[in-house]
Amino acid sequence: MIGLFVAFWTIVIFLSIAWYGILLFYVGVKGAKEIRVLTKTLAQEEKADKT
Amino acid sequence: MHLALIDWCIILLYLVGCMAAGLWMRRYIRGVEDFAVAGRSMDLNLGIASLAATELGLVTVMYTAQLGFSHGFAGATIGVIMAVAMYLIGATGFIIEPLRQAGVMTIPELFQKRFGVKVRWVAGLFVVLGGVLNMGIFLRLGGEFLVAATGMPAAWLEWVMTTLLGMILLYTVLGGMLSVLVTDYLQFIVKGAGIVITSILVITSLGWNNLVTNLWLCFDGTMAGKGQILKAHPFNPFDSTNFGWGYIVWQMMFQIAVVTTWQTQISRVLSSKDASTARKMYRRTAFYFVGRFALPGLWGAAALVYFSQHALPAELTALAPNDLSLRATPAYLGLLLPTGFIGLLLAAALAAEMSTDSGYLLTWATVIYNDLIMPCVKKPLSQKARLLITRALVLGIGLFLLVYGLWYQMPGNAWDYLAVTGNIYLASVFTLLVAALYWRRATANGAYAALILGAIGPLTFLVVNALASSANQLSAHLPETLSLSQSLLMRFHQAFPNAGAIPPAVAGASSFALAFLGMFAGSLLSRPALATTPPKTEVPA
Repeated sequence: MIGLFVAFWTIVIFLSIAWYGILLFYVGVKGAKEIRVLTKTLAQEEKADKT
Repeated sequence: MHLALIDWCIILLYLVGCMAAGLWMRRYIRGVEDFAVAGRSMDLNLGIASLAATELGLVTVMYTAQLGFSHGFAGATIGVIMAVAMYLIGATGFIIEPLRQAGVMTIPELFQKRFGVKVRWVAGLFVVLGGVLNMGIFLRLGGEFLVAATGMPAAWLEWVMTTLLGMILLYTVLGGMLSVLVTDYLQFIVKGAGIVITSILVITSLGWNNLVTNLWLCFDGTMAGKGQILKAHPFNPFDSTNFGWGYIVWQMMFQIAVVTTWQTQISRVLSSKDASTARKMYRRTAFYFVGRFALPGLWGAAALVYFSQHALPAELTALAPNDLSLRATPAYLGLLLPTGFIGLLLAAALAAEMSTDSGYLLTWATVIYNDLIMPCVKKPLSQKARLLITRALVLGIGLFLLVYGLWYQMPGNAWDYLAVTGNIYLASVFTLLVAALYWRRATANGAYAALILGAIGPLTFLVVNALASSANQLSAHLPETLSLSQSLLMRFHQAFPNAGAIPPAVAGASSFALAFLGMFAGSLLSRPALATTPPKTEVPA
């Protein structure tokens, strides 16, 4: 029974490290693109407000 | 101090980058809608980064590492439960979908649509009290992590954290949610890198098999009298020495309330482009919450094993067990990490503190502005005046935290007080949310009853536990020396020796049961006075 719990936590901890690593790159790239789109949209709205 | 030049360079680079990005975003703020919910234009990945960054603060690292030190790997069970709760909410859209579709800026604003403005105001007060008092412990705990990890003099703690809060306030006051989103993104990256690298270094330095074996030896009595001992089963959370079944069942209910009700999490739902984006964000962030407990928990478990095999540093030897479990992990990391990596860990720690503080400051300021001030304002205010009020509120909360949480030493029972205020908020606001969105028969009287009963429950437990503690202290005195009230208390204690010291699971579950009972009885005993259709449509704020 203890072996099962040890196996469970081993999987959970190693998967967590892998998941953090994957998110770091995936969200890192996609998030940067989203910030660019967000700032562009906001800049356009600001221009439209002024005119 | 354990820091070398390269470490300082990494920390400085991070701080300059973060401040520059935060201050740059202030140019896009045109009104309160941009300031509080980023113009509701947040997309999926930015949402994931912001949600993950805000909810993984330095205070989280401290208490999850403490759980690893005192409960072994099984301490991460709460993270697994939270991840399941988040995934289920993301998959079903329970609460978050109708909440986003209602187009509100805060949870109490939704209550006005169902129960009227007075319920909104009272609920807003509960949200603010629970949230701000909960945040009161962030700065000190974060500072203690930095002191232990860097080896800097403890006398510097207040000044370092005051400077850090000043930087956070600067970009949050000027750029609001837009600055918070961009800085959260940077902080997510720095923090993620720090967590992954630290976890790998911890495993490789101790060896996985060595870690697992020695955790068991700390528990089974082999280390008694030789090193650190573990009182809880390190792998089985259901074991009676660990959390046990009752606590785990309670956590399943509690975490569903947290992920649907905690305003800082919900503000990301309300800032997202649409309900579908919010649901996806919850599903994709869910597993992150396992790591939020499992990885600092791994560091805590490793600290326990390390200090079982090595002597404790001088500054930790005189500490009480609870303080030791809190400070052992940062001290261990300070000893473990080589030059360069300690700089990265500290940049990650600063990122964790900054992202959480900025998100929380903005959220509670928005609730005060939106739900406590605006309902009392008779004349419409200009956009400029509204923005000024919200900014002043962020600054005001920051100053309050500085005094209350950092420079003022809280008395011991203030911790109980914080736990109770958090429970009052979650029990009552979760009940109101479920009723507002899913029960057509819910009324304002039911809402008041839920708010009152949800508060009475936790306060009763606070009083009962305090009385039980007093009775235990009085039992050491001679009966002749006790006053009348003390004698009565002692007689009650002798008649019911098991009364008092109510377990948190029982106290928490009872608060929720009382709040639901209040809503149910109060609604059925009164007539609905307002529109009873649950709010579903998008309305302009």
